[in-house]
Amino acid sequence: MQEELPGGYAGKILRVDLSQNRTWTEAWTAEMCRTCIGGVGLGIKILWDEVPAEVSWDHEDNRLVLATGPLAGLPAWGTGGLTVVTRGALTNGATNTQANGFFGANLKYSGYDAIVLQGRAPEWVYLYIHDDTVELRDASALLGKDTWETQETLEQMLDLTGHQLSVYTSGLAGENQVRFAAIHGDYGHVASKNGCGAVMGNKRLKAVAIVRGSKALRAADPRGLWMAAQEIAEDLQYDPSTRSLYEYGTLPGVSGLSRLGALPIKNYTTNVVPEGVDMSQWTAQGLREGFDHRGHQCNSCGMHHCHAQVLPSGPHQGAIVDEPEYEGWSGAGWAFGCTDPVATSWLNTQVDRACVDVNEFGWLMGWVVECQEKGYVTKEQLGGLTITWGDAEAANALLQMIIRREGFGDVLAEGVKRASETVGGPAAECAIYAMTGNTPRGHDHRARWEEMLDTCTGSGGTLDSGPPVLPTEMGQPARINPFDPDAVARMVGGTRGRRQFEDSLGTCIFTTRTLLSILCRTLSAATGWDFTKDEALLFGRRTAALMRAFNIRCGITPDLERPSKRYGSVPVDGPAQGQDIGAHWEHLLDVWYDMVGYDRQTGKPLPATLEDLGLSHILADLWDAREATHAGT
Amino acid sequence: MKVLRITPQRCTGCMRCEIACSYEQSGVFQPAKSVIRISPFEAHTSYAPYTCTQCDEAWCMVACPVNAITISPVGAKIILNDLCVGCKLCTIACPYGTMFYDPDTAKATKCNLCGGAPACATACPTQAIEYVEAESADWLGSFAAERAETQLAQQA
Ligand code: SF4
Ligand code: SF4
Ligand code: SF4
Repeated sequence: MQEELPGGYAGKILRVDLSQNRTWTEAWTAEMCRTCIGGVGLGIKILWDEVPAEVSWDHEDNRLVLATGPLAGLPAWGTGGLTVVTRGALTNGATNTQANGFFGANLKYSGYDAIVLQGRAPEWVYLYIHDDTVELRDASALLGKDTWETQETLEQMLDLTGHQLSVYTSGLAGENQVRFAAIHGDYGHVASKNGCGAVMGNKRLKAVAIVRGSKALRAADPRGLWMAAQEIAEDLQYDPSTRSLYEYGTLPGVSGLSRLGALPIKNYTTNVVPEGVDMSQWTAQGLREGFDHRGHQCNSCGMHHCHAQVLPSGPHQGAIVDEPEYEGWSGAGWAFGCTDPVATSWLNTQVDRACVDVNEFGWLMGWVVECQEKGYVTKEQLGGLTITWGDAEAANALLQMIIRREGFGDVLAEGVKRASETVGGPAAECAIYAMTGNTPRGHDHRARWEEMLDTCTGSGGTLDSGPPVLPTEMGQPARINPFDPDAVARMVGGTRGRRQFEDSLGTCIFTTRTLLSILCRTLSAATGWDFTKDEALLFGRRTAALMRAFNIRCGITPDLERPSKRYGSVPVDGPAQGQDIGAHWEHLLDVWYDMVGYDRQTGKPLPATLEDLGLSHILADLWDAREATHAGT
Repeated sequence: MKVLRITPQRCTGCMRCEIACSYEQSGVFQPAKSVIRISPFEAHTSYAPYTCTQCDEAWCMVACPVNAITISPVGAKIILNDLCVGCKLCTIACPYGTMFYDPDTAKATKCNLCGGAPACATACPTQAIEYVEAESADWLGSFAAERAETQLAQQA
């Protein structure tokens, strides 16, 4: 008899071997639910167990895990979550990247908590899921289509509308294995990091189409679950720290960060808003009300976050686009000098439709413009194209070359690190990236040291800890001096683990910006566990350490944990002028390593750390016996 | 009487009402069993909920050959499961398409206003569904008239 599973779970993991055109399911065990939870916790276990060192990102034995979690499909806010875990194309190491929309809900109502893909299809296919019907179907009608077209075509082919069908695809960028290709779904939700879309393309999987299934999800304590969901909703609406996120999503970022010198402007060449830019257009209200808009929220979400909007003017007037996130305003705008909200909004949706990571795209465009301006990259190299600061049309022309790998687009399709190394000379010195290949998010991290440290040490394709949420709950100060290296490293190290817990629940990063204790109560009501804050952090740190161990096994070592020359440079103007993170870099690492319990020389989690986290079983994989006795002493 | 007042322009298509409805009706989270449904309009940019308006004419009641539909104390047309023979006549008779058939029970199923505390209205984060006093339950007419004006601009 099958053992009874905790509430919240659909109960099965869907396995797909694309090479063999074979699908099967695996049951969870109750113990596995509790130790892996879902999302990145489940994904990294699968990577560790099934993707050895010699299986690189583009090897057919690489795994692409599309996971939800125990809260997906339940009535807490934002429960359509998707976590993508794979060995990614930019770092050739672990990936942990999220999207929302309806994927998680539709999949669980069809009876599955996660999809694990392996192999490579002989011909392009898409994966169709509706309850017990799981099929790899011919995708030739979808080839060459962008993300929105792919979804529209599948809606027509399957005769389904709205959220009855959730479609995730990697667009044309995925088809051509652009190294920073993303996975996009449901008109505007993107799991963007570490080239997860390139992995999908490498497997010749054009799309995953999930019908909103007909199965039931149960909660161990449904009344408790409704109450916890209500508590989260009220906290998000009324707490001063989350109120603007509730009202405006990430829109306040542009004006807020510009005042701290943390808005990246023109490839980090300045931190001063150019003269003549009307910043009143760039406030949260300006960006929301500057467009005709309508809410377009994810499964069960009450945040005033995602919206569809209409371009009010310009060459694409009347086009329906997805309201950009802060990351879009920055990557498809400020990073390469575009300060026109309408042009940026348009370009941002082109990026989503093309299906690349908007952060990497921004750094790439900023680099190209600067290189052309300085003569490091010529007009001839760009196929006759001239791109100047802020030219969104030219940026789109380059984007289209990138996703088709045409001309110089083939070089750019490798991402800014490799492109700048290929061009070499002085061009190599003005590109923004972390040496591991992790893509920095869309800020100027020279004024946000926590994120630069986090990005350079992160194991999942970008940062690991993220901006601290309620750090006092984790024994950290509420606020620190952002340029105090000790405080910065302690904050990043001391908040490690919370993000990995959030990323395992099947929820959204924004709707989990509440007390950990409330999240634990929600999880417990769903599952029937007595989950505590301590268990949540232990789980998160274990997951983070396993990701780190996986990367060590992939050959990603601590000598790579530093910013590129431009990324780690000193701001020449603006509020953070003269702040030099490079002067403190080794010290930041020393303190961070000490906080997280990893070995400063080899980067490995120390034997004692592994034991504390319940990872003794991997000790022998990481350390030989003699080393282990000396490590950390 | 109190009715479900629906303001489609507020609906974001989050489907939370469907989750709540299915829970209230069946004790599990299973939107396929929800008797309020969300439909998309204008590609993916607009959504609107629809459910039984508890309309005065009540074609379902008229059509039912075994008198399995009656009116509850809160004014909802409800199905008496013991009497329903699952003939589906009511689903054809309802002009709004808000009478459903549940293949698992082989009976008709519809909104019963949750006995006077509609779960969808409580769950909706945008007040697109409210449970309010009204003279008539028939709000669909005005909705249709206003609809044309409230569409999000169409792609040029
Ligand atoms: S906060 Fe935004 S991204 Fe997150 S679930 Fe809600 S609408 Fe979706
Ligand atoms: S399905 Fe049931 S309620 Fe509907 S008309 Fe037939 S017997 Fe009456
Ligand atoms: S809960 Fe409200 S906003 Fe969400 S789909 Fe239902 S009616 Fe629309």
